[in-house]
Amino acid sequence: MKKKVLSVLLAAAMVMSMTACGGSDASSDGGSTASSTTSSSSSSSTESSSSSSSTESSGSAAAAVETPGEYVLEDLYIVVDGTLTATVDNGQDAFIEQWEAAVSQKLGHSIKLHINQLDHSDYSGTVSRLLTTGEPGDGSFPDALIMSATMFREYAPTGLLWDQADAYANAEFQSRVTLPSINENMKDSTGALYGFAPTYGNGCVTYVKKAWLDAVGMSIDDIKTYDDYYNMLKAFTEQDPDGNGSAGTYGVIAAGYGKLDEAPFINYMPEFWQDAYPAIYQKDGVWVDGFQEEATQKALQRLADAYAAGLIDPDTEEAGTKQAREKWFSNDQSTSEGVFTYWAGTWLQTLTDNLVKQEVDSEIVMLPPIAEIKNSWGGYLNREAPVWVITDDQNGDNSREQAIFDALIETMLDGDVVQTLWTYGAEDVHWSTHAEEFTTNAGTDKEKTYSYEEGTFHLKQSPNDPNSVWKKNHLDAVLVIAPLTNGYVDTSELAVAGNKFFTENCVDAPQAPASETLSEINNDLVDLKKQLMNQVVTGEKTPADAIAEYQEAFGDQIETVLSELNG
Amino acid sequence: MAAEAKVAYRKPKKHIHVFDVVNYIVFVIVALIVLLPLWKVLVDSFNAVGVYQFRFWPNQPTLAGYLTILTTQKLYRPFLNSVITTILGTLLGLVMSTLGGYVLCQEDMPGRNAMSYFLLFTMIFSGGMIPEYLVMRQLGLVDNMWILVVKHGMNVYNLVLMRNFFEGIPASLFEAAKIDGCSPMGIFFRIVLPLSKAALASIGLMYAVTVWNDYSTVQIYITNRDQVNFQYILRVMVMDGDTPTTAYKVSQNTLYYAAIVCAILPFMILYPFLQQYFVTGVNIGAVKE
Amino acid sequence: MAKKPTKTSTGEPIRKKPLGTRIWNNRGYYLMFLPVLIYVLVIYYWPMLGVRYAFYDYKLKNISYVGFKHFQTMFGDKDFWTSFKNTLELSIMKLLITTFVSVLISVFLNEMGNLFVKKSLQTIIYLPHFMSWTVVAAIFTLFLSNSSSGFVNETLKSWGVIEKSIDFLHKKDMWRPIFYMINIWKETGWGTVIFLATLSGINPELYEAADIDGAKRMQKIWYVTVPALANTIIIVLILNLAKVLNMFESVFVLYNTRVYEVSDVISTFIYRKTFLQNIPNYGYTTAVGLFKSLVGCMLVLICNWASKKIRGRGII
Repeated sequence: MKKKVLSVLLAAAMVMSMTACGGSDASSDGGSTASSTTSSSSSSSTESSSSSSSTESSGSAAAAVETPGEYVLEDLYIVVDGTLTATVDNGQDAFIEQWEAAVSQKLGHSIKLHINQLDHSDYSGTVSRLLTTGEPGDGSFPDALIMSATMFREYAPTGLLWDQADAYANAEFQSRVTLPSINENMKDSTGALYGFAPTYGNGCVTYVKKAWLDAVGMSIDDIKTYDDYYNMLKAFTEQDPDGNGSAGTYGVIAAGYGKLDEAPFINYMPEFWQDAYPAIYQKDGVWVDGFQEEATQKALQRLADAYAAGLIDPDTEEAGTKQAREKWFSNDQSTSEGVFTYWAGTWLQTLTDNLVKQEVDSEIVMLPPIAEIKNSWGGYLNREAPVWVITDDQNGDNSREQAIFDALIETMLDGDVVQTLWTYGAEDVHWSTHAEEFTTNAGTDKEKTYSYEEGTFHLKQSPNDPNSVWKKNHLDAVLVIAPLTNGYVDTSELAVAGNKFFTENCVDAPQAPASETLSEINNDLVDLKKQLMNQVVTGEKTPADAIAEYQEAFGDQIETVLSELNG
Repeated sequence: MAAEAKVAYRKPKKHIHVFDVVNYIVFVIVALIVLLPLWKVLVDSFNAVGVYQFRFWPNQPTLAGYLTILTTQKLYRPFLNSVITTILGTLLGLVMSTLGGYVLCQEDMPGRNAMSYFLLFTMIFSGGMIPEYLVMRQLGLVDNMWILVVKHGMNVYNLVLMRNFFEGIPASLFEAAKIDGCSPMGIFFRIVLPLSKAALASIGLMYAVTVWNDYSTVQIYITNRDQVNFQYILRVMVMDGDTPTTAYKVSQNTLYYAAIVCAILPFMILYPFLQQYFVTGVNIGAVKE
Repeated sequence: MAKKPTKTSTGEPIRKKPLGTRIWNNRGYYLMFLPVLIYVLVIYYWPMLGVRYAFYDYKLKNISYVGFKHFQTMFGDKDFWTSFKNTLELSIMKLLITTFVSVLISVFLNEMGNLFVKKSLQTIIYLPHFMSWTVVAAIFTLFLSNSSSGFVNETLKSWGVIEKSIDFLHKKDMWRPIFYMINIWKETGWGTVIFLATLSGINPELYEAADIDGAKRMQKIWYVTVPALANTIIIVLILNLAKVLNMFESVFVLYNTRVYEVSDVISTFIYRKTFLQNIPNYGYTTAVGLFKSLVGCMLVLICNWASKKIRGRGII
């Protein structure tokens, strides 16, 4: 008897409290869902909380708020990766402030910009979490965000991205676009443009420390083939390029032996990969799986041999790009590396500056593509550009999305104030036109004084590092598809030289495939490929065994993907 | 008590035994195995150059590692976050588990067993990672360091320990207070809490250790670097090699070891004084991992 | 659980008042329980409603009912079974090893005559327990690293034991032994607490009786101390057996892509599939999580039953 009463009591208490939290849950969704949830308090407890936590209801509720054509976007939420170099400790506040002022003026109403800058190492995972669990307007759901070409191909068929084709075609900046082909190539077979690329892709070139070459008595002009390259690494490893009298140095470091989760996959170690392309790509008009090709086995073997000989820094396996480059220009050169393949252009300047800052020999030379690369691809690979995507709230009305396009992308390429913000950063924080004189690395033999007259555009010292000069913000002035019209140019010789070198030595990377089956299995595929690559390089498996294991696990599905792609 | 009794019985044997000598040697080795890694961490955190050798004293002493942590916002801010969340999480945890434990030991309260089972069920079944994430999202706790307070705000196991402890308080004290017309709250504050200082200290410590040491919650729920705790920053630095740009020239290893020391420092300072409370916690209940 | 009260402390038999009165009399207590109730409902029970996603496809904004599809996928998923097997192997081995070492240390620590030395030793060996897994992993990763500042590799090299650095944490055949060793370092000290408590309760007469029989030190340990611990050992094993599936952080901070085969456990599997994928299917990972919860639930109930059999009270 007593037990029965208790259980009734308990049940009553639970129901009561669940209704209570169902109610609070509805209110936490904000005013927009109020109308759709008024009836929930009378419905049973579990239903009320499930309907409000499921994702469909508030999306449709938001639709009711929107009036077609006169959508006023007051808050713009964007998610960016590290390519927005105006980070929180590097003047982002000023960037936001000036952006808001300029764009509010353009749009005729005030707008706030909210930037969520994510860690690069976990960017795609975090983005998927934000997109899956959030709702437009809830404060963390991005209205627009940056995606790499690989991510973009996976998201394009999901319906979550807004087709920018019309907005792009009617954009004010259209008349100034000098490189129309990039966004034409972004369009899918139906002509939809789900991602917009404001710049072309850029790629990596191989940088070598000049001082190390001198120390081992070599010249960059002699490095013509893979064998030359290998011997250079060997010299860097076994001789004493840093001049400290003992070994400990390595030939080369990178962020992974291959970057198998992001196209163009082979750009961090191109000399080893050569003609191999460890992913699905189009070869002579037919889609093939490059990972199963013999070229990949040979490439893995080359990596394994070099690893066994100690030429590749073992930190490569786990390193992120930041760790790799910091080790390369580290103050402690006794465990550093001679060769580092990294992004072209501005990065030549950045790497040099960092070497200067760390008080190590700072001269860097760029290695022209070795014969094996030259003969197969034609040069270093120019990756598919990362894109800006706009999220579609799927309510059948385009006014919100168009408003986002107008506020963000239209202004980003306005050729003037806002484009300068995206290109160089905030005025008088990152750059200035006022008369100024400043000195970097004062008191060292790298001391350098910069002085500018009133009215001359110039970049200032980095906000978080007075010893280096600011380089650029998100857009690269050289790579952008519609150039600035106000004539502001960065005169950094190294960046210009770096860009020139790259454009002379590059070819476009193969296009990424868009296949539904592939997006389904791609994560597992990449995981396995990474694991196999690491095992082969470190000598735990032979390339042939690895490929066999790969075929065993994914052979059938790859067949399906290829037949999908080849029609 | 019993340990002393045993010592007393063994006292008559005065001569030194081989067994004892071996035993002492073995335990010196055990103690060294525990302490030497920590000593190396400590020494290297003061050493300017990262050397592999074991040293008893830094050969190039420097404070750069610690100064870097103190002056770099990306490093000291997480430390402050850790301190704040640990304090608040401990307080919330103590309030919740003493309230709950106190109510659950009211023997003549109808529904007491149902309430116990209601709590205990959460110990054997949970929603899982995604459902929890979705709920925290709804509560606005994603990307928010208060998640560390809320997520550890109550631990049913600690509540049960509290209840077990309260049950040990003589019932006559409660009865007397009731007769004097004390309200339940009054009894709680005037009788129960003053009698439970040891239990409060030990359970408070359990909460503090849990919140301070939590890394996976941050890893799952927080992406904003302003909101992370020190464990997360330590992990990101040492494992992912993601060291923030700093004003000091400091070798990576020095910074890493200094960060490790900071991550264990608060408890290492308190530990010798509070060790008895940690052990009490175990002995109130059964075994806690 | 407390005994059923039949008498008040003053000895009068309890007259049961009507239920309504009793509830009213206890209203203050219900009020005090309210915060706990709300907290538990929101933080623990509300997420339980989310397990329904195990029966849905949940990718980005698309949620559709799929029945038991995810469970079928799961049972055919090689990686899932690897992680399941690893979870059991790792946590049971870890449990056995650390318990064994704990018992060993407790027994010999108990023989330590000097009380001060004994207390100090306890203080020292409990220490690592209070460090987070992050800290422990950071320390050992730095020590075991194969860079030129890696303590273990460079020391072994300078002694001439090895010629080339060994990448300890990345080697499939070395990862598990290292994982167990780190666990021993961190947890055995703390594990002795309960055994030492048991040992301090042994009746000294037993030792005296053994003395009279002329027993040597080791014999006393073997015939008096160890049997006294038997019951506690079994209880500790049962208590911990109930949580074998919960292993997460200790593995998460130490594993890496190259050793997934020997180190991936269910929780890390779920974590990766949920948070590190470009477009994850939350439905699938919820299903794996639900499976883990159910198996865990069963384990607890079995252990509870076993505990009741052995010591007369359950573990929950």
